[in-house]
Amino acid sequence: MPSDPVVLSFDTSAAHCAAALLSGDRILASRAEEMGRGQAERLVPLLEELLAEAGLGWDDLARIGVGIGPGNFTGIRISVAAARGLGLALGIPVIGVSTFDAIAVDAPGRAAAVPAPRDQVYLKPVGGSPDLVAVELAADAAFPPAPATLTEAIARHAATAAAGGPPPAPLYIRPADAAPSRDAPPVILD
Amino acid sequence: MTKALTLLGLESSCDDTAAAVVRRTDAGTEVLASVVFGQAELHSAFGGVVPEIAARAHTEKLDTSVQQALEAAGVTLADLDAVAVTAGPGLIGGVLAGVMCAKGICAATGLPLVGVNHLAGHALTPRMTDDIAFPYLMLLVSGGHCQFLVVRGPDDFSRLGGTIDDAPGEAFDKVARLLGLPQPGGPSVEAEAAKGNATRFRMPRPLLDRDDCNLSFSGLKTALLRARDGVIAEKGGLTRADRADLCAGFQEAVVEVLAAKLRRALSIYLEERPDVPTVAVAGGVAANGAIRAALEQVAAEAGAAFVAPPLRFCTDNAAMIAYAGIELFEGGQRDDMTLAARPRWPLDRSGPAMLGSGKKGAKA
Repeated sequence: MPSDPVVLSFDTSAAHCAAALLSGDRILASRAEEMGRGQAERLVPLLEELLAEAGLGWDDLARIGVGIGPGNFTGIRISVAAARGLGLALGIPVIGVSTFDAIAVDAPGRAAAVPAPRDQVYLKPVGGSPDLVAVELAADAAFPPAPATLTEAIARHAATAAAGGPPPAPLYIRPADAAPSRDAPPVILD
Repeated sequence: MTKALTLLGLESSCDDTAAAVVRRTDAGTEVLASVVFGQAELHSAFGGVVPEIAARAHTEKLDTSVQQALEAAGVTLADLDAVAVTAGPGLIGGVLAGVMCAKGICAATGLPLVGVNHLAGHALTPRMTDDIAFPYLMLLVSGGHCQFLVVRGPDDFSRLGGTIDDAPGEAFDKVARLLGLPQPGGPSVEAEAAKGNATRFRMPRPLLDRDDCNLSFSGLKTALLRARDGVIAEKGGLTRADRADLCAGFQEAVVEVLAAKLRRALSIYLEERPDVPTVAVAGGVAANGAIRAALEQVAAEAGAAFVAPPLRFCTDNAAMIAYAGIELFEGGQRDDMTLAARPRWPLDRSGPAMLGSGKKGAKA
């Protein structure tokens, strides 16, 4: 049993399913699998394999760090929903960690950028708010590391973050793409 | 004496985030708590449920719903025997959020996981509320579904027929939009129809000429649009009386079609000579008074009992999922952590597909 509290982290914000176990400064186990789809079916079995590899059970966890994106909307919901279910049942803090914060673990003080569809990126300038911009505007920014490193960074960030905040929520950056109804109501004459 | 079973249910397949705790003992079934958070206000500006908005809301509301249901029921996770979750059919983003939340709870506690078909939840509700016996005839009529089912067991359904296009609840919503009435359309169209003259605008009775249990509501929407535009072309707008008459004509068409098709479905069902012939309805459209009265009358004429669960268990809720989970759990169903969320999941696996029978399979 590790002496320091154990943090479980996982992330499905892009085409991967990744998880890590951190105790103090030490990564106990880490996994990343590339996958375009099927994260919802793979995530929990992967977490169970990771715990087994480290000789740990769910009750040994002190907190959870979950990747909240930005990224694939469905992907970040898969992880956040699972993390909230786990947190509810285990009664431990669940920390939502953005990909920007995870990038900053190994690249502090730099603008952070996350790939988005159609030659765009989610760009977070130093000290500024993130936005969806053309990829050319992110030339100097740090991009996410490989999924295994990303999820380890999520664990490291979550380990030191303050607990007790609001529960983790996906970071979408943009509102849902929806158009108001085209049915114009008729004129009522009386 | 069978073991008492207490299940948590989660539902998030459309625009209601719901959690419930249901217990079944020898003495009967008790809904210990049923929590439903609707999203109507999130979708109202868009004239219908927006899948991405729904998925976002479910993801951040499911665990809160579970917590509230457990507290209201006065139980903890340790008091449960299993967790049941809607695994389809429905809007995939919401279904996924529910399935992942349930997996998180089950992984952490070791509780068994039971994936439930949303339609089975509706179809088994009359057993939860009124303890009726198999086989019974079920009319599932809601904003997203319309089908006649013979329910023979918790996982044994035969579909006699259903809509070949839209669901009636969807048609009520569309009519409300076309006439400038508030959403959801069901109650507002029903209230207007009560004030109107159903004979002024003659609406079609789709598929009544066919001797089967299939229905269609798409053409009815178009007929209403044409009738509305006729009045507007003449007067430059609608009077309140025009609007009420349009609602009355539309509603009467829906009532007559549902009643006539129920008559046909009943005659097929009664050929099985069930011990206690029973017709049950579920879904939000069953809350419409005119529709309910007509269906009740058709059942009475055929000598069948009529069961309509209370509205809160007719519309989307999680108690029905927990209850269906109990029946499936008793039958031995256990799902593992690879349980998939399914946008399409027909209840009747042998019947021919009716809707969206494309390469991804039938919708429902």
